[in-house]
Amino acid sequence: MSELDRNRLQDPVYMAQRIADCEAEIQKGIIGQREIIRQVILAMLTGGNVLLEGMPGLGKTRLVSTIGRVFDLSFKRIQFTPDLMPSDVTGTNIIVKNEKGSSFSFERGPIFANLILADEINRATPKTQSALLEAMQEHTVTVGNDSHRLEEPFFVLATQNPIENEGTYPLPEAQLDRFMFKILVHFPSKEELRGIVTLTEGSGAVEIQKKLNGEGLLAARALVNQIPVADAVMEYLLDIVMETHAANPHIREGASPRAAQALIRAARAKAFLEGRLNVSFQDVEKMAPPVLRHRIIPSFDAISEGVAEDVIIQRILDAKKP
Amino acid sequence: MGMEQREFLVTIKACRRRLNLAGFLKNLIFALCVGAGAGIVFETAAFVTPLYYADIYAGTAVLLAVPAAFAAACMRRGTMEQAALFMDGFGFEERIITAYENRDKDGTLIVLQRQDAMRRLSENRSRIRIPIWPSWKSSVLSLCLLAVLTGLAFVPSPVKDRARELHGIREEAGEKEKEIEEILESLMQLEQETLTQEQQAALQEMQEMLQSSIQEHQQADSAAALAAAGEKLNYKYENMSSQLSNLAQSLQNGATASAASADSMQAMAEKLQEMSGMEPSGGNQTASNQGQGGQEGQNGQNGSNGTGSQNSQNGSNGQDGQNGQSGGQGDGSGQGQGGQGDGSGQGSGQGDGSSQGQGGQGDGSGSGRGTGSSSASHDYVSVPNAIADSGNLTGNSVDHDASQYFRTQTGLSWEGTHVSHEAVIGSYERNAYEGISAGRYPSGMEDVIKKYFASFN
Repeated sequence: MSELDRNRLQDPVYMAQRIADCEAEIQKGIIGQREIIRQVILAMLTGGNVLLEGMPGLGKTRLVSTIGRVFDLSFKRIQFTPDLMPSDVTGTNIIVKNEKGSSFSFERGPIFANLILADEINRATPKTQSALLEAMQEHTVTVGNDSHRLEEPFFVLATQNPIENEGTYPLPEAQLDRFMFKILVHFPSKEELRGIVTLTEGSGAVEIQKKLNGEGLLAARALVNQIPVADAVMEYLLDIVMETHAANPHIREGASPRAAQALIRAARAKAFLEGRLNVSFQDVEKMAPPVLRHRIIPSFDAISEGVAEDVIIQRILDAKKP
Repeated sequence: MGMEQREFLVTIKACRRRLNLAGFLKNLIFALCVGAGAGIVFETAAFVTPLYYADIYAGTAVLLAVPAAFAAACMRRGTMEQAALFMDGFGFEERIITAYENRDKDGTLIVLQRQDAMRRLSENRSRIRIPIWPSWKSSVLSLCLLAVLTGLAFVPSPVKDRARELHGIREEAGEKEKEIEEILESLMQLEQETLTQEQQAALQEMQEMLQSSIQEHQQADSAAALAAAGEKLNYKYENMSSQLSNLAQSLQNGATASAASADSMQAMAEKLQEMSGMEPSGGNQTASNQGQGGQEGQNGQNGSNGTGSQNSQNGSNGQDGQNGQSGGQGDGSGQGQGGQGDGSGQGSGQGDGSSQGQGGQGDGSGSGRGTGSSSASHDYVSVPNAIADSGNLTGNSVDHDASQYFRTQTGLSWEGTHVSHEAVIGSYERNAYEGISAGRYPSGMEDVIKKYFASFN
């Protein structure tokens, strides 16, 4: 890892370059899926969490572990099952015996890490799922009467399988809203598959380098938050979110205000990653599907007609094109 | 503000100016199309319905395009933000609008962003192209519409001729209406307190007659109708003049006379007389109008007016020269001033009934229509000494032999006084016309009555 120049943490050009280096490094270990990598990095730059939806075996775990390595972040994986208890995620108070006698001591759960992979999150009970809520939103964990702050940067990457819904507990809207992006992981192309097989089954394993650390990521996040947004762009963004609440036969419930916040943060991060210090209409347009697709609830008409969330969002974008 | 930033703002301003100019031209072309379209509608309508002002409306619609376009351009003139956004459309990815909005703000990232925007703008200024002229299609369309409009304006049509004719009629009628209203006003201003109820009723009747004349002029939709209305009006003027004159006379003779009101009545009578006399001369060339005056010369008073009736119907007095009363000299010199309109005159066209009125001792303003022609030969109208069942008649009314009658000139006549037909026909006709103007006869009968009296001429 090239040494991070602490004097240049406020230099947006330098930091953007470092993030771009990270992205390139991750792409060494993950074949294809460039857009997914980009979106995950964008979420990390804004402090958001990501819900990955895709079939098993598409490299989700590998992606998270690679990101952890490149950003030099601690990484934990939690496999969600129906019998997983909240304390299995957050940790619990245990009795400790020592010379002074017995006392309770908090034993940290796997959530105490920078990067959490909540694998197949929809297989756990709602009670366990909700254990993640506070962590995702407040970056704290409360056990008993004690709250424990999670280490920054904190980032949850959850996965769920779009099929095999038997015995699953679909995430409630309140929890879905906590995810900044919902990213759809598609099956790789033949060429990408060849690259994956060659990479994983061949002899030439790639050495992944650390390119940044948590401090650098937080510095980049601070820069992203300062990126100015023109009124016209903000107007466009708000129009999009408001349009999800307009009379639309395909939408039962529109996006929440949190969606607007997430969209502007994502657009800022995208502009930053592209070396631009302002948000463009295109940034908003590009970020709208991953931000909104899990925040709008399709109507019965949409479901019966097979109109997916992305189609609805695209129609809104077309209607509101500046 | 640094030099670079000033230049940045100047560039945005220049862009805004061009955008505004382009907007004005676009609006102008659009407004011209709309104006020409509206003009075409007017011109097309002028082929279907009489629309005299179609050309003016069409021209106005086109001319209004310029101020309308200017007003629209002013109302929708672009702001600096809009200009900056427009410039961003040339690949600047909202850098310019963001920099412009944050031009007065500080902050590391904001300053860096502004510098980035200015640098990009100065490097890629040539990318920004703002077309000032609207598309050639819209320009050609507007020109085509204007050409069509011009062409339509010059295409002749009977409806357009009719519109011009109607317009002339309306103008003439309008003038007449104004004139009548003035007279009405004068009538109403006459002092009526010293008048008897009968006299007041007469004045009231005059007003009603004038009101009906206004309506007739308003409803006139052809030259003939206008002429007829004018004819009636003239007659009414004459009649009113006579009545007012009489009223003035009676007021002067009365004990409680108001000299001022008598004078004003007399002045008005003279004015009406003058108007009735002038009336026909304003007009026109059709020679067949029924003239005014010239008749009624049977008493010396009326002889004075002899005007009017230049037309062929008049001149009835040719025969009346025999008796001095009618004033007709029989020479039908045709001094008549009246005669406007295009009535269907009959007769030989001589003897204009100048009615010099030999009697002459009267000072009346003789009125009456010049009827008849000098060459006509009519029976006398006898005024019997006695009437049937009075016991004074002798002989059998069906037995001419037993009756006391004699042949005179062209017909049989009973003994007694008799007057010339021409002398009384005017009076009869006048009464008939009074009835027409007062609306005493059923609609449709007016023409029959007119024809009837015209047949004597």
